[in-house]
This record gives sequence, C-alpha cells and structure tokens, in this order.
Amino acid sequence: MSNEKYYVPHGTYWPIIGSIGISTLFIGFANQMHDVSWGWPVMVLGFAIIAFMMFGWLGTVVAESVGGMYNSQVDKSFRWGMSWFIFSEVMFFAAFFGALLYARVLSVPWLGGADNNMFTPELWEGFKATWPLISTPGEVGQNGVAFATNFKLVDTWGLPAINTALLLTSGVTLTYAHHALRAGHRDALMGWMLATIALGVVFLGFQITEYGHAYHDGLKLTSGIYGSTFYLLTGFHGFHVTIGVIMLTVILYRIQKGHFNLENHFAFEGVAWYWHFVDVVWLGLFIFVYWI
Amino acid sequence: MSLFVIAILALIFVFLGSAVIGLLRGGKAGSDRMFKALRMRIILSVLLFAFLLLAGLLGWIEPNGFNLLPTQ
Repeated sequence: MSNEKYYVPHGTYWPIIGSIGISTLFIGFANQMHDVSWGWPVMVLGFAIIAFMMFGWLGTVVAESVGGMYNSQVDKSFRWGMSWFIFSEVMFFAAFFGALLYARVLSVPWLGGADNNMFTPELWEGFKATWPLISTPGEVGQNGVAFATNFKLVDTWGLPAINTALLLTSGVTLTYAHHALRAGHRDALMGWMLATIALGVVFLGFQITEYGHAYHDGLKLTSGIYGSTFYLLTGFHGFHVTIGVIMLTVILYRIQKGHFNLENHFAFEGVAWYWHFVDVVWLGLFIFVYWI
Repeated sequence: MSLFVIAILALIFVFLGSAVIGLLRGGKAGSDRMFKALRMRIILSVLLFAFLLLAGLLGWIEPNGFNLLPTQ
C-alpha cells in the first residue's frame, strides 16, 4: 500500500446491507412478539441477511489481510478494536452478575425486612426472604399464599460439574493449540483446535439437556428473580459459546488455508482470548450459582 | 473459604486482563505476555475447579445447588 501511516478503505456496500439485515431482523422480531403471522419468516430473513453480510464483509477483510494490504497501523487499530469489544463484553456480563448478586444479597433480604430498610415484610404479606426465590412477590404472595421456599439441593456434581470440566478442558486444549501455533506445529495446532471445537459443541449439548431438566422441574424465565437471572446469565453465556464455536471453526479453516504464521496470528489471539473469557464466565457462574 | 474462592477467581481475571494488554501491544513481547497470561489463567482455573470438588467432597464447603421440589 502507498500510505505508511493509514489505510483508507475502499468504498463498500456491506454496511448498508448490514443495516438492512438488522432492521429486517427487528421488524420481524417486533411483529413476532405481537403474534403477527409474517413476523417469524421476516425475522429469519433478517438473520440470513446479517449472516450473508458477516461472510461477505469479514471475508473481504481476510482477503485484504492475506493480500498484504494492511500495515502496522491497521494492525494496531484491529487490536484496539478487539480490546474495546472485550471491554464491552466484560461490562455486559458484569451487569448480569451484578443483578444476580444485588438480588440475592440486597433486594431479596430487604423484602424480607433485613437492614431496617423501607421494604418491610408488611409490603408482601407472608414473604420469606429465601434463595433461590422462584416466585414474584405480588403474584402469589399477597393473599397469604406461601412463597416458594425451601428447595432440595440439586446434584451439583452432575451436569453443572461435567460442563465445567468440559469447558476447562477446552481451555487446556486451546492453550496447547496456542503453543503449537507459536512453535510452528501445524498438525498439532489443527488437532487441538478440533478438540476445542468438539468440547464446545458437547458443552452446548449438555447445556440444552440441563435446560430441559430445569424447565421440566418448573424453573422458567418467569420463575421469579432467580429464574430470570439464571436463564439470562446461562442463556447469554450459551449464546457466547455458540459464537465462540463458530469463530474457532473459522479460525480452523484459516489455519488450514495457511493464513497464520509465527509472527502474524492476531485473529487467532483475539478468538483465543474470547474463548478463555467465556470459559472464565462459566467458572464464575458455576461458583456463584452452584457453590457460594 | 468463599473469600478464598472469590480471590482466586479475581486473580484469574487479573491474568485475563494481562492477556488483553499483551493482545493490545502486539509484537513478540505482547504475544509472549498474552500466551503466558492465558496459560496461567487456565492453570489457576483447573486448580480452582479441583479445589472446589475436593472441598465439596471433604465438606469444607456446602454446594448451593437448586431444585424446585419443595422439601415440605
């Protein structure tokens, strides 16, 4: 490229296609929420347009990178971009963990009359502060109907522990892949990447199974503050694992195509960090939901 | 015991943060820093998980699971 400092991208139609895709997705989603018959297909169409845009736009970026069109300034901008994305992800999960801790440590005890707070037991007659709280005050508690309290403990050693072991193992295999990449061992790199992807897929399978069990036992998104925070946290985590598996698969494809070398493998590093982060978020969930 | 678990989890996040700094800086030094930080984070995570299982088995810590079957 001619300019050593800045890379000025060419004109492209991908942003407007992305905008059309997002608009279509939300128009479909909003109408689906109102039980409009065409809401669902429009939503799928919007998703397809976004997927098309992602393939096209990111494919262009990969082609430009492999074609040697990027200089060190562009490399720096990618690294800053990834870092801000990471920051937004940390804040995203911090908000949900914050909601879980706030409900459990502060607001629910307050409703039970703790801390001499303005929220007293008289507000919801018969309310007993307990965790997990799976009913919403006002809906079942006002007429003296007992709030859901006192639950048997589920076997923490079951699916939650297995899933934690699976994700941690995927963190180990990814670390071996990272090492193999830095050492220039391509076959080992691909093998460890395949193992990481497979572990991620198995994790998702078990997570779906656990959702089935929880739902069957009566835990729903509407099951009080616990049901809401449980499904939002684990659901968004599962969504992130899904995205991570897709990204790892793309990276595996790029490894197979020979896109990376010992010095230049930023895309691998970005995805590797993301996977480690998703792994740690699960560890946090395992600790705060099942142990502490 | 809970504080110990939370402290190790916080330390894991410190290593994740160190890895981000390595990612941001780039080059050989940044890449080395990132790899070593991520390696430390997975070692700590596996040890923490093993500790939790051991602590649960030995009764040092009581799991806080959930089930929706009323006990009364």
